[in-house]
Amino acid sequence: MDLHILDHRLKVTSICKDGLVVFTHPLIKLIFLRNRTRCKFFSLTETPENYTVVLDEEGFKELPPSEHLLVEDSTWLPLNVVSNGHASSSSQAVGVTKIAKSVIAPLAEQHVSVFMLSTYQTDFILVREKDLSVVIRTLEEEFNIYREVGGECVPFRSQDIRNGFQKNGKEAKITVHPVLSPLNKFLVMSLDPDTLPAIATTLIDVLFYSSSQKDGSHSNQDLDCIKFFSFSLIDGYISIVMDTEAQRQFPANLLFTSSSQELWRMVRIGGQPLGFDECGIVAQISQPLADSDISAYYISTFSFDHALVPEEDIDSVISLLQQQRHDPSQV
Amino acid sequence: MSGPKPDILWSPHHVDRYVICDSELSLYRIESLGSTEAKAGAVPLSEETAATLLAINSDTPYMKCVAWYPKHEPECLLAVGQANGRVVLTSLGQSHNSKCKELMGKEFVPKHARQCNTLAWNPVDSNWLAAGLDKHRADFSVLIWDISSKFTPEASVPAEKIRLSSGDTDSGVVVTKPLYELGQNDACLSLCWLPRDQKLLLAGMHRNLAIFDLRNTSQKMFVNTKAIQGVTVDPYFHDRVASFFEGQVAIWDLRKFEKPVLTLSEQPKPLTKVAWCPTRTGLLATLMRDSDVVRLYDMQHTPTPIGDETEPTIIERCVQPCETIIGSFAWHPSAQNRMVVVSPNRGMTDFTVFERISLAWSSGTSLVWACGRHLYECSEECGAGAAAAAERDVATKMRERAQSRYGHDTVQVWKNHVLAGGNDPQLKSLWYTLHYILHDHHRYYIIQCFPYFFGNKQPLLYSGIKNIVKSSTSGTTESRRCWSGSERPAEVVRYLSEERGLALQLCGWIRCGPDINVEPFLKSLEQEGEWERAAAVALFNLDIRRAIQILHKGASFDKGDLNLNVVAMALSGYTDEKSSLWREMCSSLRLQLSNPYLCVMFAFLTSEPGAYDGVLYESRVAVRDRVAFACMFLSDSQLPRYIDKLTNEMKEAGNLEGILLTGLTKDGVDLMESYVDRTGDVQTASFCMLKGSSGEVLKDPRVQCWIENYRNLLDAWSFWHKRAEFDIHRSKLDPSSKPLAQVFVSCNFCGKSISYSCSSMPHQGRGFSQYGVSGSPTKSKVTSCPGCRKPLPRCALCLMNMGTPVSSCPGTGKSDEKVDLSKDKKLAQFNNWFTWCHNCRHGGHAGHMLNWFSDHSECPVSACTCRCMQLDTTGNLVPSDSS
Repeated sequence: MDLHILDHRLKVTSICKDGLVVFTHPLIKLIFLRNRTRCKFFSLTETPENYTVVLDEEGFKELPPSEHLLVEDSTWLPLNVVSNGHASSSSQAVGVTKIAKSVIAPLAEQHVSVFMLSTYQTDFILVREKDLSVVIRTLEEEFNIYREVGGECVPFRSQDIRNGFQKNGKEAKITVHPVLSPLNKFLVMSLDPDTLPAIATTLIDVLFYSSSQKDGSHSNQDLDCIKFFSFSLIDGYISIVMDTEAQRQFPANLLFTSSSQELWRMVRIGGQPLGFDECGIVAQISQPLADSDISAYYISTFSFDHALVPEEDIDSVISLLQQQRHDPSQV
Repeated sequence: MSGPKPDILWSPHHVDRYVICDSELSLYRIESLGSTEAKAGAVPLSEETAATLLAINSDTPYMKCVAWYPKHEPECLLAVGQANGRVVLTSLGQSHNSKCKELMGKEFVPKHARQCNTLAWNPVDSNWLAAGLDKHRADFSVLIWDISSKFTPEASVPAEKIRLSSGDTDSGVVVTKPLYELGQNDACLSLCWLPRDQKLLLAGMHRNLAIFDLRNTSQKMFVNTKAIQGVTVDPYFHDRVASFFEGQVAIWDLRKFEKPVLTLSEQPKPLTKVAWCPTRTGLLATLMRDSDVVRLYDMQHTPTPIGDETEPTIIERCVQPCETIIGSFAWHPSAQNRMVVVSPNRGMTDFTVFERISLAWSSGTSLVWACGRHLYECSEECGAGAAAAAERDVATKMRERAQSRYGHDTVQVWKNHVLAGGNDPQLKSLWYTLHYILHDHHRYYIIQCFPYFFGNKQPLLYSGIKNIVKSSTSGTTESRRCWSGSERPAEVVRYLSEERGLALQLCGWIRCGPDINVEPFLKSLEQEGEWERAAAVALFNLDIRRAIQILHKGASFDKGDLNLNVVAMALSGYTDEKSSLWREMCSSLRLQLSNPYLCVMFAFLTSEPGAYDGVLYESRVAVRDRVAFACMFLSDSQLPRYIDKLTNEMKEAGNLEGILLTGLTKDGVDLMESYVDRTGDVQTASFCMLKGSSGEVLKDPRVQCWIENYRNLLDAWSFWHKRAEFDIHRSKLDPSSKPLAQVFVSCNFCGKSISYSCSSMPHQGRGFSQYGVSGSPTKSKVTSCPGCRKPLPRCALCLMNMGTPVSSCPGTGKSDEKVDLSKDKKLAQFNNWFTWCHNCRHGGHAGHMLNWFSDHSECPVSACTCRCMQLDTTGNLVPSDSS
């Protein structure tokens, strides 16, 4: 297996709901006018609390400074596991489950904080740039590590890092976070970037005017359903996560998804905003899923983490996680 | 090719059909305009061709890529890859083929929808269609579909809930189970099947090129690179593959897949298409975005790279098929170098890339050029007659002259012009000039009369009239001579000096010696029938009666021109009366005379004393005559000016007559240079400059260059004997060119050089000739090493020790020996020489060896099977000239 350190330097930011109006212009530019910006990595996730925007430094320049914009101080690097055609395990499960044991768990052990971003195409593991040496040391036994520089893959060894191996030695107590499972069903979809203009109005509507709509028609479902919409445009690939409610607004044949049209249920992790320093959160969710061979998408946002699991598996997942909560020693 | 950008595909089997695909598929037929009347609706593609739209298919929206079924039947079957990853089979035009109907509309659906980037039919098993898709986290990006497979629900994994969007599951035309799935969690941007094996697939994946082997799908060969777009195999060289990334093309050798064999120069904008020419080896066409040219790379001359460092040479050029920007292009599958280009707004142009023309001159007269698959040879037509002979190529002339030993006559130097064919007035003048310069009597006379000429290192002898005139030291005497046979004193002033006399001699007007009588020259001119010239010379010597007599003679001579009588009559009316009618008429009518000598005669008679421009600048009169005239009638101040002017004129024109003025000096080399530039005749230049043989001139790099070129030319014609003759001739005239000894024979026992020891030890009293190489059979035999007295090796054939002269060879009878003793003598010198094979080390007398190998192929030593003569590459060459 290969691990690629991608050629992006990312910022994780959050825009509060009230301040969205300030950022409408740069966001529309980043989403629709991809030839006008040099941003290659852009992800926007709407949650009830705020909008989480993950973008590279080129994209970050587009955002005007504002009191409504919260920026996590660190620079994050996206990692990507490439199976490279070597026959992977017999497991049918995909996504974060596949890398739970090989990447997520070892990093959690070394107390490396990770920020997960699953898309239709792949799963990105974001780590802080300062943790890179630890990450490399931890993973170089299992993976061939490459750094992508200007489109070429260059083999990368731990000697290449100047500051030596510092173990993130903080022995933090593992908190098991509460989980919440809203009732909406989600789809993970993609789109031919060339047809993006065709859904532009709908997309703008969903992204920027969702609150007004919600107030009208869905007030009664507030308790059981969650507002969650994610759009990412990374290296020219579009990935959209939305619930079936939102999907109805889009033209039927433009969005791609699996031929089986599988639906996903969400597990939201955390009762309080999780912050960025705590480690092992992804691990505590992905580990039991991996043990049970359940596929999952995992999307971290500024405040909470979200896992998407197949709808038929939601009950077993919830019970697994509940059980873990009562018996944290399993982690 | 998404959206407005059209692409173009030629039918693999119908040479006149192609498809343009943008939002829909349009089938066109291309026709030549000549054969049919321009039909309504036909779009002209070029001056000769037009295209007719046959069918349009707009059944498949969101097309991303198209591939044409590679087999003959069904003919118009196309696979279309869509934006959602589905591959649909469709067709254009009517097809009644049942197989086609069955396949039509069949869809191949990947598990997870994403863009289909590329399609490739397997050229051998045409049921196999490879599709390259974008990345999905859990799915494969290379799917190989079997188009003959049926939809089988039980084949798909039961756990998967099949919820195919529209109700097309029932029709049985949707296939969801691919034959092979490759490249998990990766993206595939380009694909091509490798001709090496039906089951090898080359794919441009995300950041790497991979070769999948379907016989063992768990293995793949891959190389990390960013050049992953548009992989395509060279149809003529199956291990050569091109791929590109942005503006850069990489060429790969699959046998050495670690890195590109070469990368082509990067273009400023991303490329959109790269395609090998199917009709010509090593020609790669590339198209840049928003460009109006197709850039071609010719790897025709690419040598096989030996080391890593060898960078193969490629020739790059651009062609511009049309005025507009090119959207896409496609090579015609069979018509040579032909392509159709399509502009973004669907304008189409039929275009043939013109082949680079390579051209080569032979060392003879023929010229060969190659264009495409045609080779054209152009050789000289040998017309008959003197005019044709003069017009012939200089290579032909030089060859013939070399055969006739042109340049080799050192006794009667003027005869060389006869050897050269005798029809070139410039050569005639040149060789006469050289003859006068080199004539022995002449030299002797000059040394006696002008000892000061030889005070300088460079004898004035070779320096031409220009320098002779300039060096004038003795006083010039003026004489007013009378017209001979007339009592009246002439008004003309004639100048005399020793230098002028010498110049006249060089011009050939008077013999060497103190005698200045021109009569012998006139006699010789009369003999050659040059009546007009003789008359003019007589006239210039103020002998008007002699001139008239000559003209009479000329008119009465067999086939003589009767008009000469008329001229003689006109001449006899000469009067020096300034205002006479005669003068007036002659000065105006003389211009109508076609013969330049007749013309200048009247010019002389009618001109004022001292103003002879009518004579001096009559370019049709030979330079030597004009110069002689000038030496007689121009004053000391006028003469050098005229000579300078004439010299420069000659130098500029490269006229060999000018050698008379320049002599064989630097000036002469300048003149010869422009002659060679004009004619390419290095032969004349070489011989002429060798004749001069003054060190300065021979050292001139230009002269050395002519000589070397002439030698190379003789070699190229296989005139080896002529080359040798020339070298001998050269070494006689220019001793510095004599090559040093190149072969030494050393004794086996003491290691001393056999030949060297004799020359270095003269006290032993043995010349080289004593070793038998002088060729005289009666000379003493030396068969042992002069150093150690051990015997020399034996000839393998006659078993005599080397050094023993060759007895007469069995082939040449005794009678021959006597008849042509001189020839035999020359041959004997070589026949006695030692020769041996570098391989088996057997050898003997050269003459014996030559004889032996003329009808044997193996070494004469018994039990030695060495094929000595065949190892000698030059030994088998046959000279083109007879010795």
